[in-house]
Amino acid sequence: MSGGTQQSFSSLVHLHAVMLAVHGLRKSFGERVLFDVPELHIGRGQAVVLTGVNGAGKSTLMRMLAGLEPALGAQVTLDGAAMPLTPYPAALRTRIAYVHQHPYLFRTSVRANIAYGLKAAGMQAHDVAARVDAALAWAGIEGICETPPHRLSGGEIQRVALARAWALDPDLLLLDEPTSNLDGAAREQVIALVGDLVAKGKSLLMICHDRDLIALPGITRWKLSEGRLTVRGPQAKAAAGAEPAGRA
Amino acid sequence: MDISSAIAEAFRLLLAGDADLWLIVWVSLKVGVLGLLLATLPAVPLAYLIATHDFPGRRVVVVIAQAFLSFPTVLVGLILYLLLSRQGPLGPLGLLFTQGGMILGQAAIGFPVVLAFSLAALQAADVRLRETALVLGASRLGAMWTVLRELRFGLFAAVVAGFGRVIAEVGSALMIGGNIEGTTRTITTAIALETSKGEFAQGIALGIVLVALALIINVLLAWLQGAGGFRR
Repeated sequence: MSGGTQQSFSSLVHLHAVMLAVHGLRKSFGERVLFDVPELHIGRGQAVVLTGVNGAGKSTLMRMLAGLEPALGAQVTLDGAAMPLTPYPAALRTRIAYVHQHPYLFRTSVRANIAYGLKAAGMQAHDVAARVDAALAWAGIEGICETPPHRLSGGEIQRVALARAWALDPDLLLLDEPTSNLDGAAREQVIALVGDLVAKGKSLLMICHDRDLIALPGITRWKLSEGRLTVRGPQAKAAAGAEPAGRA
Repeated sequence: MDISSAIAEAFRLLLAGDADLWLIVWVSLKVGVLGLLLATLPAVPLAYLIATHDFPGRRVVVVIAQAFLSFPTVLVGLILYLLLSRQGPLGPLGLLFTQGGMILGQAAIGFPVVLAFSLAALQAADVRLRETALVLGASRLGAMWTVLRELRFGLFAAVVAGFGRVIAEVGSALMIGGNIEGTTRTITTAIALETSKGEFAQGIALGIVLVALALIINVLLAWLQGAGGFRR
């Protein structure tokens, strides 16, 4: 272990007010246990980067939180209300947004892609238009708003997907390796967008190996290793010396 | 009548707008389209459910669905005949030798085609498509609608392939419809009848219509396959 303190997640003291708590998150294949996380908490305004070697189960864990993988036996507590994570609570669908490592854009314009979730939420047409404009401006993609997805570059697709999730103003953003397969200006632009989310106090959990993203100010580092989730780095050290606070 | 004069007479019938001939074409299209509609409404959602849900025996269901692609239409006709005949369980409905009965037959023939082709289109779809709809807050029904809309070219191709199957079949239409002039006589049953009587002109004329329909269907299929082609 290097780079500071490592602490068991279950004994972590939270420096943020807990927004989402999950208990009993476990994934196994027959006898083989991929991970067993008795509890994890994400605070309001907390930005977490989840690291771990390939095959540790990071994506699976995130997909469970997004409702894309069954999380049998797991319990979720959102703003104090406890409920099973499987079947996935409808309330979570509108409060947690997930962005794939390689995002899928619907075969329509960028604008319509961003409007999709807003329409699904039943937002009025003029509010949708205003919110889409704001999302386009936030991501700096006004110039491609009518472009079909197959004409976009990898970086543009990632920024559209981020704008699409941002437009929903979710309580929690789940990002699966947002800069993977990007380089140069495209990577810098995505890092700038994620940095803006972190700076503005958006709660997010992000799988990532990108050093520049991990180094963003205010980021909490989690590591999934050998089936256990631990907190790494200065945050764990700070937590170890603080009084318990904000546990759900 | 020799072949050349039969062909000449066939074109004369077609161009002259022969009422009997075009009534047969109309009955074929009406029965085929309505039967296909009856097949498509359950087949596409069922294909979606099979493609997006993992359940015990799923593979068996897929194999059975594909096996029914080659189910003999004459056997469909026989089974429906037994069900719809006066002594059959559906006899009181009085559908035997009616267009209603034929529509049922066409639906039974079109169903496995639409199901199997839709299933192929859905199974080939990107798994992130449905996931993206769900994580953006769509309901399960909303996600299904989004997936079907995204795959519309493949699904239209499934429907067009189903239409090709029902418009060209003769076994079920003959057994259930009874080939009654003006009501249940279709292109294929009329060709069979006219040929057996040695009246080739009308048979050839109807054959030309059938080939034209097949051509239109294939052009439509090719266009749909191109329209929904690979992303660049």
